[in-house]
Amino acid sequence: MTLLELDNLSLRYRRGSHERVVLDGVSLQVERGELVAVWGMRRSGRSTLLRVAAGIEPPDAGVVRFAGRDLAASAGDELGGGIGYCRLAQRGSEAQTVLDELTVGQLARGVPQATSRELACAALERVGASDCTARGVHELDGSEAVRVALARALALEPALLVIDEPTKGVDLLERDNILALLRSLADERIAILMSSGEATALAGADRALSLSAGKLRGSTSPELAEVLPLRRQADG
Amino acid sequence: MAAKLVADRGTGALRSPVSWALLGLVIQRPSYGYELVQRFERTFADALDLSSLSQIYTALDTLQRRSLIEEFTVDDESPHAVVRQPKPHYRATAEGVRHYEQWLVGQIHEERRRSRLFARQLSVLPPRTALGIVERCERACLDEARDALPATARSGRSRAAAGDARSASATASEGEAASEGASGLSDRLLCEEGRLAVEARLAWLEYARRELSALVGERAPGR
Repeated sequence: MTLLELDNLSLRYRRGSHERVVLDGVSLQVERGELVAVWGMRRSGRSTLLRVAAGIEPPDAGVVRFAGRDLAASAGDELGGGIGYCRLAQRGSEAQTVLDELTVGQLARGVPQATSRELACAALERVGASDCTARGVHELDGSEAVRVALARALALEPALLVIDEPTKGVDLLERDNILALLRSLADERIAILMSSGEATALAGADRALSLSAGKLRGSTSPELAEVLPLRRQADG
Repeated sequence: MAAKLVADRGTGALRSPVSWALLGLVIQRPSYGYELVQRFERTFADALDLSSLSQIYTALDTLQRRSLIEEFTVDDESPHAVVRQPKPHYRATAEGVRHYEQWLVGQIHEERRRSRLFARQLSVLPPRTALGIVERCERACLDEARDALPATARSGRSRAAAGDARSASATASEGEAASEGASGLSDRLLCEEGRLAVEARLAWLEYARRELSALVGERAPGR
């Protein structure tokens, strides 16, 4: 069964008499362990596509299915469960530490405090951000903020990670490490749907698509890929 | 060590990319013929096709005739010196280095010329056909972009791995570290150059799509 399926999605934004087509008959399939990247210029609708794919924003028409279930019918409970949507913007208080930030979502879901701390620390270690554990969320640089956002989503053990512009604001020398981290997560069978306004961030993806004038172009399903997915790296 | 400069210079511009690539290798460090063949294959295997190995020796001859490289012999002090024929080595002349630098800078104009030619050739097609070409070019660019994660980033999965690499190079001998560093730097520069070129091409293709879409009456994005 396809993990994520976008089926003929359409969405328009209206402001007064002005109307902008954001998604126009967009279809896409993402399987487990795939890293799929969507490239688009500014105002191409790439962030909207990701929000719709994660079930945050409903489309005007079309269906989003996650593991075969229509997201519109699942009342948003896939967010944080099967779908990890990575929010890069920090909204915590000045005093909030990274560990607090990672445990609060789990505590809200009834995870015991000790377990939530264990999961949070394991997720931070997995993304190479253990040294951020006791830091304030406002003290993180661009790369650390991305790693922490990934850890926050990973702590909930998602099958799909959705991340908008993971390399935006990241130091040039750190950019490839972030991309390699995403690649390694996909190699561990976590599906990743990401967007970028920079082609440099497409490196390491199994499929790269473009979004323009509401149309998604490229290999929208794995079997349509003209080029075989990149080989997975051997451990070590 | 005896050096001999060959005075017979060729005429006209040196056009073969193999010759320029070889000149670059000789500038990097002097080598003998077979070693240059091996270094050529290691360095340019993914960028230049050789019809045969003799192409290398022909190119060496051309470079030598133009006084861009010179031949010299190395006295072999090993125990086998009496039975081995000394290998002719090649090194770059000052003129060779100067020509190579000029040629590298000139490549920017050459790329610009190719881009202009592509734009002209695309614009003579009917707009719908050109739109199809733009779409295929975009796919090729996207595939090129996704294939551009440097090997060093692929193997070093995190900051921890990057730290390990740094400490490893600190303990390695200076020569090894310098050699690995130069090779890694070359890979990263190549990778970044490719990515930035793709970035620019994708932006241009998007612009072309808007213009061509307007010509065939399709809606342009964000309008």
